[in-house]
Amino acid sequence: MTVQEKERPLSKSEVAISDEHSATIGPFEAAVEHLKREWQLYLMLLPMIIWFAVFLYKPMYGLQIAFKDYSIFRGIAGSPWVGLEHFETLFANDQFLRAIKNTITISALNLLFGFPAPIILALMFNEVLNASYKRTAQTIVYLPHFISSVIIAGIVITAFSPTAGIVNTVMGWFGLDPVYFLTQPEWFRPIFIGTGIWQEAGFGSIVFLAAIAGVNPSLYESAVVDGANRWQMMWKITIPSILPTILIMLIIRIGNIMEVSFELVILLYQPATYETADVVNTWIYRQGLQSGQYDLAAAAGLFNAIVAFVLVMTANTLSRRFSRTSLW
Amino acid sequence: MSGVVLSKIVKKYGALQVVHGIDLRIDPKEFVVLVGPSGCGKSTTLRMIAGLEAITGGALTIDDRVVNKVAPKDRDVAMVFQNYALYPHLNVADNIAFGLRIRKVPKAEIKKAVHEVAEILGLTDYLARRPSDLSGGQRQRVAMGRAIVRHPKVFLFDEPLSNLDAKLRTQMRAEIKRLHKRLGVTSIYVTHDQVEAMTLADRIVVMNQGVIEQIGTPMDLFNNPANRFVAGFIGSPPMNQLHGFLEAGDSGPLAQVGRIKVKLPKSESLRHETGRPVILGIRPEHVTVNEVPGSFPINVNLDLVETLGSEALLHTDFDGMSFVARVETLGDVGHLTGVDTLHVRPDLMKLFDAETGRSLSLEAGA
Amino acid sequence: MMNWNLYSRGDKFFAIMVSILIGMFTVATLYPFIYIAAVSFSSGFAAQAGKVVLTPIDATLEAYGYILKDPQFWISYRNTFIYTIGGTVMSLAFIIPGAYALSRPQLKGRRFFNLFIAFTMWFNAGLIPFFLNMRDLNLLDSMFGIILAFAVNAFNVILLRNFFEAIPKSFEEAARMDGANDFQVLWKVFVPLSKPAIATITLFCIVSRWNGFFWAMVLLQSEDKIPLQVFLRHTISNLSDDDEFAIVQTAAGFSAETVTAAIIVCSIVPVLIVYPFIQKYFEKGILLGGVKE
Repeated sequence: MTVQEKERPLSKSEVAISDEHSATIGPFEAAVEHLKREWQLYLMLLPMIIWFAVFLYKPMYGLQIAFKDYSIFRGIAGSPWVGLEHFETLFANDQFLRAIKNTITISALNLLFGFPAPIILALMFNEVLNASYKRTAQTIVYLPHFISSVIIAGIVITAFSPTAGIVNTVMGWFGLDPVYFLTQPEWFRPIFIGTGIWQEAGFGSIVFLAAIAGVNPSLYESAVVDGANRWQMMWKITIPSILPTILIMLIIRIGNIMEVSFELVILLYQPATYETADVVNTWIYRQGLQSGQYDLAAAAGLFNAIVAFVLVMTANTLSRRFSRTSLW
Repeated sequence: MSGVVLSKIVKKYGALQVVHGIDLRIDPKEFVVLVGPSGCGKSTTLRMIAGLEAITGGALTIDDRVVNKVAPKDRDVAMVFQNYALYPHLNVADNIAFGLRIRKVPKAEIKKAVHEVAEILGLTDYLARRPSDLSGGQRQRVAMGRAIVRHPKVFLFDEPLSNLDAKLRTQMRAEIKRLHKRLGVTSIYVTHDQVEAMTLADRIVVMNQGVIEQIGTPMDLFNNPANRFVAGFIGSPPMNQLHGFLEAGDSGPLAQVGRIKVKLPKSESLRHETGRPVILGIRPEHVTVNEVPGSFPINVNLDLVETLGSEALLHTDFDGMSFVARVETLGDVGHLTGVDTLHVRPDLMKLFDAETGRSLSLEAGA
Repeated sequence: MMNWNLYSRGDKFFAIMVSILIGMFTVATLYPFIYIAAVSFSSGFAAQAGKVVLTPIDATLEAYGYILKDPQFWISYRNTFIYTIGGTVMSLAFIIPGAYALSRPQLKGRRFFNLFIAFTMWFNAGLIPFFLNMRDLNLLDSMFGIILAFAVNAFNVILLRNFFEAIPKSFEEAARMDGANDFQVLWKVFVPLSKPAIATITLFCIVSRWNGFFWAMVLLQSEDKIPLQVFLRHTISNLSDDDEFAIVQTAAGFSAETVTAAIIVCSIVPVLIVYPFIQKYFEKGILLGGVKE
């Protein structure tokens, strides 16, 4: 029995202790046990959860005024229900319909011109050999992203001013008559989208540059051995390699089609250009916060939020297909 | 009844049970190695002892205190992690001192303790360095220093050498052994490497699929594996396992394996078991090219000779079953290429039940 | 990368063309800033006549003299610093512990809490309910209200949570065996290990606070509480609407344009000073965010 001896079976009292502790505990007891152990984690989480509840979820409760005849004095809960009345008003309102149209148009134009810009920029950066030149250029083109909309608008207003602005000065050199760009509806969108490209193309290229950096270098080396030139490598290797990233970014952009940066719109538009510039959020801002029609504006906001939600969820589902990982 | 005692320890993740009621007593100052393939529950068991995993069932006592629900910090155990978990933002001294600082030990004491530990581990010159500036072996030592400095009752090691290269691993293995001799602290060590287990352990616990297959000293496990699993796991290359069945012979039971009959030691229990399927276990080390007293020859087809230096592995085919021999080269492998006969000693062979996998030799000996 | 000496003539031509195009885009990016700076240092007359192109015409500091004398400029400048520093500290105080808790697998209801937070990225109640909520909370025209109400956003939480999740579990376990509680694990181990991610979030907070405009405009009425961006906006719209101002002040050596430009310069300068320090973080930072549930 030498082997048995080395295994040293447990004594009776040791086994008894085990039986004592094996009694299964109920779910309530288990929860108490868990909290005793991990209460600090919940304490850490609590402030943030309360913050989300108070500042982002409580307003969702307030969304009910979209279905109510809201009065400040009666409050959210006390105001009477009016069903879909506000939505009927909305869809009979030419200005609101125009705002939807403008939102989609501006987003679509942004997609068409603003989306390719950072990709082209990233592809070009990839071809620059001199590291310090590349670095300097990158540093400069990322900068506008960090400048506030107010300043951007201030620069645009100054530069496009009819008398003092540089744009009209240059046009004057070629004998062209000065144009008061910011009062002309047909000029609003080109200026708005151009400003967007100027501000965001550089910063937006970071994602694509990272994707390019992830391309396996041996692909380029074998292409060199096969005699490909840089132009061919860009089309045959770089672009196909970053195509998943491009697709995902495109899907995100489409998902955010209802989100025009309305802060900049507010800063750049004026009644004369509402025709082409007024978007859903600026309309809500004027109706709700400036004219005090809270219920109608909230209804517009709800409509906007639901459309945006559906678009974003669709985009997320699509991107899962392309990347296996989701966006968030 | 002191030391570490695991009694009917069970671990479940939801419906999935990964440890099936383990009984194990570890004596004070003992060095016990838990070994087994990945997923066998050895790490989970160690982490339950550490308090990093909740114990689903059974009792764990450390020095006569049931610690099932005691927080890791209050169990008086220290652990060396596989990836060392050294804090990259702290230098070596601060890494070692971390636990003492958290416990609010007076500064002078901390300083003294850190220097003592650094002395023991040969880290005195590196105290001001960051972990990123250390070699693999030095990091390993810092990780041990962090455990030692607190003078815990039990050291836990979770595959501490698996991130090192082969040469360093051998060196650190010896160092851990020396350290254990010097400090004499109860140690529980998890590894999947049976060589580590053999060299370090006072006793080895072989685990598989959440149960203990066998507990014993390294030589016990090597000489008397309780079942086919242990036989296959301990020893390198693993024991040859040849399928066959029992037959009754004139002077005792025989095992029919392939074309040959092997005479088994006299055994009452096996006498009338004719036809029972069995596995004959033969360690590669117990096979020779030349005849030795008591051995009998078997004919094999030589497939491949792997040269190790002083020894060589002969991969052969014995009646359709693969059969490996570990033989001496005597400085030359030329004479091995023509081998067609190998010699085995019946007294060193093991017999297992083919269905249960349990050793029959042990029963026979009883 | 590739070796210039191995380039064919065609490749060299291509690389040079690309470098020139990049140079043009860079200059185009930089030019508006140079133009504004030039305007700010020009005389009001030269600016109004559209003579400024690249360098100041009739160089003068009159415009700066005008705004630096305006006490409202200094008040709003101070306020922006308060919003930026207070807001960033507030953000970190919510986000760091919250993201740590969310990153721990032992937290029960983790999936729910994650969804609770991520949902706010997909669905937003919108301007009106948010405004009414602020009014109900009595946070209109309140500096503390601005600091608190914009302290957290889901993106930053998820960014930091992802970073914490990527830290090997053994760091937490080792600290725990050493006797650390959750607060100590977070403060002494996770925060030092997460410097890049925390720097990124700090940067995002600082930039958004410094630039914050819309809600400050909507929520704040008192002149002594408005930040620089709102002051800038007021100045720009007042100056350009006010014909009388134009006539009077041109004689004084500055104009609406030069004053606007001068305020723009004053509010960009701090950004330019900090920019080189933050640059190394944001490239990594925006990549940290996005992917992974």
